[in-house]
Amino acid sequence: MRIATANETYLADEALLSTRTQWAWMGILALVLIAAPFVLNNYWLYLACLVAINVASATGLNILTGYTGLVSLGQGAFMAVGAYTVAWLEANVGTPFFVNLVAGGALAALVGVFVGIPSLRVKGLYLAIATIGASIILQFFFVNWSSVTGGSRGINVAPATFFGTQLTTYFQLYWLFVPIAALMVLGAANLFRTRVGRAFIAIRDRDISAEVLGIPLLRYKLLSFAISSFYAGVAGGMWAYFFRSVSPESFTIVESIFYLAAVIVGGMGSILGGVIGAAFMTLVPEILRFGVEIASSYVSNAATLLSPIRTVAFGGLIIAFLVLEPQGLAEIVQRIRRFFHLWPFKK
Amino acid sequence: MSGITKRTLLALAASSALAFGTLAFAQDKEDIVIGGSIPLTGVFAFAGVAIEAGIQDYLKILNEQGGIDGRQVRLAYEDTGYQVDQSVAVFNKLTSQNENMHLYYGDSTAFSRTINPELIRRNAMIMAGASFASEINDPENFPYQFIAGPDYSEMFSILLEYIAKEKPGARIVTVNSDSEFGRDPIESTRARAAELGLEIVEEIITPPGAVDVSTEVLKLRRARPDYTLFHGYILAPLPEFMTQAKQLGLETKFMGTFWSMDSSIWADVGEVADGFMGVMPYRYYYDEEEAPMLDRIREMRPEYQATGYMQGFLTAMLMTEAAKRTLEAGNELTAENLKASLNTIEDFDTGGIIGVPISVPGNTVPVGRIYQYDAADKRMEPVSDWISLQE
Repeated sequence: MRIATANETYLADEALLSTRTQWAWMGILALVLIAAPFVLNNYWLYLACLVAINVASATGLNILTGYTGLVSLGQGAFMAVGAYTVAWLEANVGTPFFVNLVAGGALAALVGVFVGIPSLRVKGLYLAIATIGASIILQFFFVNWSSVTGGSRGINVAPATFFGTQLTTYFQLYWLFVPIAALMVLGAANLFRTRVGRAFIAIRDRDISAEVLGIPLLRYKLLSFAISSFYAGVAGGMWAYFFRSVSPESFTIVESIFYLAAVIVGGMGSILGGVIGAAFMTLVPEILRFGVEIASSYVSNAATLLSPIRTVAFGGLIIAFLVLEPQGLAEIVQRIRRFFHLWPFKK
Repeated sequence: MSGITKRTLLALAASSALAFGTLAFAQDKEDIVIGGSIPLTGVFAFAGVAIEAGIQDYLKILNEQGGIDGRQVRLAYEDTGYQVDQSVAVFNKLTSQNENMHLYYGDSTAFSRTINPELIRRNAMIMAGASFASEINDPENFPYQFIAGPDYSEMFSILLEYIAKEKPGARIVTVNSDSEFGRDPIESTRARAAELGLEIVEEIITPPGAVDVSTEVLKLRRARPDYTLFHGYILAPLPEFMTQAKQLGLETKFMGTFWSMDSSIWADVGEVADGFMGVMPYRYYYDEEEAPMLDRIREMRPEYQATGYMQGFLTAMLMTEAAKRTLEAGNELTAENLKASLNTIEDFDTGGIIGVPISVPGNTVPVGRIYQYDAADKRMEPVSDWISLQE
């Protein structure tokens, strides 16, 4: 606990950023995010966009799994709903990208509510399996509802346009995705300062007690599914504008596992955890490429020989972090913070 | 730090600096780079590893002969795990790192489709890859891509032409996996079979990854086809199909397309694989007919090389030929010029990788031959002449 931070109002007590240091760090982060596209090359910009999309989706899943305690393996399918909605609207209606993204989120939220209905009866692993069931049904629609989804071949997506300019380069897309992702993360952080967010946490900690406290489980569990799926839908929409082609093979169960892993590795029930987890899961395999690259000056044919090791190393890192940091990567950040709170007076 | 002294560290650092230095030197501006998003891990790694070897070997031969217009050609590639987001990441990484990248090898249909707008926007390179999707055979929408062989629809056309010749009016069953890959040639096959007077008596779609095929085999039994054509699989569940069909005493002949046709995957299947036929656009490593390039390959690599190797080899050959013709004409290496040069390839001698002179009139090389598996020899033997779909 930090000393000398007594607050005089509830408002101040609930503030997201309570100290000057936190504001300063946020300012630095904002500056870095603004400066990044001018410094990074195309490869890193691509990864930055991908991280933004994954952060949005992982944050959504964190609301459901991390904060409400409802384990879901349907995040990939919800993203697909958003991606297909955006692709369909772009091809058939031609509404602006912003409307498409919100529509994608809204439809995903609606689907999420239906998928969430079993959560009233089942919990934990049982719910996870129920969401897999829902993914299978959705996948069936994606493959067989050819007139809308383009069947197994999928749909191509026209680029998003902003005042007549087509957003095709990663530089342009960065300015679309990063602000949206930032807004979504901010929204999620603020959610837990409200009655709704606290209700989610109460349900996670003990659903029976939550009901005794006067929290209608039906409404709040479904609301959590809706919000989480909305995030997935918007992320899926961004994905569609990013890869410009959506097919049933774009969002498989592997995708859902990826996001659940991101939330767990990053730290369940921590906004920072979702962000760090998504960044970790996206960037580490790419960073390991440089290991292969450095080795290639010592070993001939390094890419062929070492690529399998890269995959193993990535898996190993996930296990290592789970063992050494079961609270998630976000806990490392917290520990560093605590260290500096007392620095230099700590022994 | 047991064993590692400061001195060894220094030596390591110095040697790596030296290595990077020489690397930078080798990356002389004049090099032409082939980029590659190649699956070296994941479900498609078996093909990726072979493809990479094929490309590297052709480049070795080419560079020994002086490269293109005195410029060396080099492959810069990275692993994709056969995942689209990684394939795109590799594309962006390699294009950021290599200036003279004018040729590219992609690993999947999804990647070909995803990267297509970017290729058009850049107008800097042509691309081919491991996908034979019919969709790519569309010069209007995929102007800067090509396939070093027939697309899947053309592969089926070649099979059907062979069947029409062997047994006019034959009854056919198609078995496709329920994936984009599997469903690719279904519609065009219907039309082509009708043209050739062949009867498709049943179309079976199997779920991806299906192992139990007993209900499908019963359908096959009811349909009593002369030929059963598989597509959308590598190996499984073909052996299971063939075993059960044999037990039921079905007389049908089984056929497949490129990715099912490597003889090494059939080697472990045993007796039941005997007689499996299919279309192959390239020669096999062990083919005995006259082929100087195959002799050269066997000299470089004494052990068997899979069909993916031949595909990579020929792709590199066609790509670099396009680059060579562009430079010879005094043009810049833009995608537009490269593709135009590629399309000038006519009656081109591949040194026996394909048994007849080939042309690239559009986005494909519509040539193939029917091979049949001989379980005793563990080899694919040709049973037809080369079949060209070009008029």
